[in-house]
Amino acid sequence: MQVILSALSTMAPLLLAALGGLFSALSGTLNIALEGMLTIGAFSSIAFASATGSLALGILIGMIITTALSALLGLFTIRFKANPFIAGLAANLLAGGVCTVTSGKIYATEGVVNFASLPKLASWHGLDLFLPIALAGTLICAFVIRRTSYGLHLRACGRNQEAISSLGLRADFYNLTSFLISGAFCSVAGAAIMFRLGAYVPNASSGKGWIALVIVYLGNMRPLGLLAAALVFALADSFSNFAQGFWNVPADFILAIPYVFTLAAMIIFSIFSRKRKSFM
Amino acid sequence: MNSGYSRAKGAFIVILIAMAIIAALCFVLSETPVKALSLFFIGPFSSLYSLGNMLASSTVLILGGLGVSIAMKGSSFNLGGEGQIYLGGFVAAVSGVALQDLGMLGTLIAIAAGSLASGAIAGFSGWCRMKWKTSEMISSFLLSSALVMVINYLITGPFLDPGSNLLTTQKVPQAMRLSKILPPSGLSTAILIAIASAAVIQAYLYRTKGGYSLRITGMSYRYAVYSGLNTRVYTWLPMFLSGTLYGMGGALSVFGTYYACVRDFQSGLGWNGFAVALIAGSNPVLVIPAALFFAWIQSGARIAMQGSDLTSQVASIAQAVIFFLITCEAFGRTRKKGGVSCK
Repeated sequence: MQVILSALSTMAPLLLAALGGLFSALSGTLNIALEGMLTIGAFSSIAFASATGSLALGILIGMIITTALSALLGLFTIRFKANPFIAGLAANLLAGGVCTVTSGKIYATEGVVNFASLPKLASWHGLDLFLPIALAGTLICAFVIRRTSYGLHLRACGRNQEAISSLGLRADFYNLTSFLISGAFCSVAGAAIMFRLGAYVPNASSGKGWIALVIVYLGNMRPLGLLAAALVFALADSFSNFAQGFWNVPADFILAIPYVFTLAAMIIFSIFSRKRKSFM
Repeated sequence: MNSGYSRAKGAFIVILIAMAIIAALCFVLSETPVKALSLFFIGPFSSLYSLGNMLASSTVLILGGLGVSIAMKGSSFNLGGEGQIYLGGFVAAVSGVALQDLGMLGTLIAIAAGSLASGAIAGFSGWCRMKWKTSEMISSFLLSSALVMVINYLITGPFLDPGSNLLTTQKVPQAMRLSKILPPSGLSTAILIAIASAAVIQAYLYRTKGGYSLRITGMSYRYAVYSGLNTRVYTWLPMFLSGTLYGMGGALSVFGTYYACVRDFQSGLGWNGFAVALIAGSNPVLVIPAALFFAWIQSGARIAMQGSDLTSQVASIAQAVIFFLITCEAFGRTRKKGGVSCK
């Protein structure tokens, strides 16, 4: 039971980040900077939540900052035609550097920052507000992608940009908005990680942005599929945490398990994927 | 030739912008900006010791840059550099200690073992791509992240040197170490091996049939299929070679500089190799000056950190800026011609 509860709370940030990644994957330009946006979102949300004394305001300001930064990334890849993968890697590196420098400058430490004035997050058996947010987000995304003209055009843009142009629409618009959406989602995902810890911990995202990218594909690019995939990953993650207590496995191995599990899932998925469509 | 010129010009502009940003950061972040600035830019040349250390750190950057370049020439992305450097260093250090009776022959075997171990790991990602179209970019990253954790465990657990107060494996004996240039700095003959590797890779890519096929497969997979090239091999081979070069970088750092596999010695080196390859436009010969430039920035940041209130993160911000700018078409690089096209 405890494993399931802890899995559900681990699932929220993974699912949120993956939903963000989904939009960019559907638009045809994959945003691999999810990890960096998680980092920026996490830092800015918790810093502003502590400064303003309000969780909601912190999350909101974090979202605005992260979205602005993903707009910058979108500008580089769409307007200046930078290679989206390399610009994404740059954003990941930049995010880590900027957060560390800023935290060193403001809080005089490059390590863990404890916020005395952080508002308390309401939770029930370790489940917090972010789980319903993530579930509601999944339903909203499913609706937007399947039932709105924006969703239809977004999917068409990923399949064939010329078709979009021939309708008199701009493919750039869909690429850019999908980047903005992924920034906003990742910011909330980052906030979900940080508020649970109750302090700013550098590198707390620990590869979740990369795992979220894999989830996008394992969920077959459908919101409900993402939900299932994220749940599997979260279960594996919390199971490995519990395993540590039972079998006395070294802590370093526990840290490696999410990566190995993701890799294995990804390879198995590509073996059985009937479409054999190239993994991005 | 025209594209080569504009590429060089683009890289030059990017380097200037990166340096301007470093200077600006010094003024924002430091209480004594002029001192920090001069330490940063002139520090690495202020003594033979600093110069030697700067050249020593360029060794692994050259090999990392070559590793990224050759993968890009084959239109693959190897994001597992960190883990591959670490694995190469670890395997070399452990097998070096095990082969200590063989002397320099043991060194050779240990370096080869380290390189091939990393080559196998990266080659596995390439092989999965060939077989099942698994993204080598993500799989190499995941594999490398897991490897770092496992090697951390091995270094602090079964292979920990109890005689040292660092978290490190046992040191390799004196007789097996590569000879020093400019002692007591970390510079050794490893840098000559790195430069020779650049020449070998250049010759392989541009003077052999295999290298030509690799580049053709990287440029246009469909064209290569129609030309009857063995595209299956050239899907995993660039990743294998890339991993081998990264692993060699790690192994040479062990035998040239650290003499043991120190915990986290690889931290950041994989990404720096990426930056080097981007500045060099994936050209094996240009990797050498690009690595020297990057080593300069890196050592400058280290020296400025020791002598002033600047933090080492400044180098990572400069690195990210270089990443961003270098792929923009605005700087005279066309996406199709550059080595970085991947779709």
